[in-house]
Amino acid sequence: MVLDRSVRLDRVFHALAHPARRAIIRQLTGGERNLSELASPLRMTFPAATKHVRVLERADLVRRRIAGREHLCRLHAPPLRDATLWTEQFRKNWEARFEALDSLLVEMESEERSRPRRR
Amino acid sequence: MPLESLQISTPTDTTIVLTRTFRAPRRRVWEAMFTPERMRRWMLPPPGWTLTVCECEARVGGSLRLAWKSEEADPVMTLRGKFTEVVPLERIVHTETMALGSGQTIGSLVETHEFAETDGVTTMRITQAYESKEARDAAIGSGMDQGMEAGFQQLDALLARPS
Repeated sequence: MVLDRSVRLDRVFHALAHPARRAIIRQLTGGERNLSELASPLRMTFPAATKHVRVLERADLVRRRIAGREHLCRLHAPPLRDATLWTEQFRKNWEARFEALDSLLVEMESEERSRPRRR
Repeated sequence: MPLESLQISTPTDTTIVLTRTFRAPRRRVWEAMFTPERMRRWMLPPPGWTLTVCECEARVGGSLRLAWKSEEADPVMTLRGKFTEVVPLERIVHTETMALGSGQTIGSLVETHEFAETDGVTTMRITQAYESKEARDAAIGSGMDQGMEAGFQQLDALLARPS
């Protein structure tokens, strides 16, 4: 189970590590697009765009259906939710520490103010 | 974005960089970060754990020792390190090794803290250098970078919708 999850996450993070693939995902948040619609704003050849879409498919971030001669891609978001939840824990732990540090710094400031100054 | 907002990035395969600003001069941030009785206040233990040992000698060759004990059973967790570089108020580097009570090592890293102050606001940058990509990924749970985070923010609305 744990291994499955980590293999799955590896694929998601690998898929997201390329700017072109992140751009594809952003486009797909607007709804279903065919391959040439995805390729043109990236100034990319059709085969290059197809390659990126395949990587996204392997990560299960994109699902593709064939309608006539068109390959229509849509975003499949659940793996992303999984990935963000995982990293959020690391962020939350540090945010909690730094918020505690914020309050400590405020306290230290008032300590310094009330302390008689030495010349 | 609020001033204090925490930035997390992974500039290389084995590092994590945390950047955070504090509304305080760096002299005060430095003291809060490396004085044991101050550290106890922000070194929040995981739920169910208590910080039992907190020693920190912020000088070259000085040691860093932390220990936590679980409220549930008997396990103890320790962190031991050495300061290898200290430029007061500017930069500090220490090693750290986490281990279980049994002595079994969990992992090691090198942590670098850098401080810069502008108009009474201090920016602290912590660079954690892990032994391998696997260890780094295990710590953060991913290989997330700023670009991805920007992407995620745009996806927030979508993710909130049930699929």
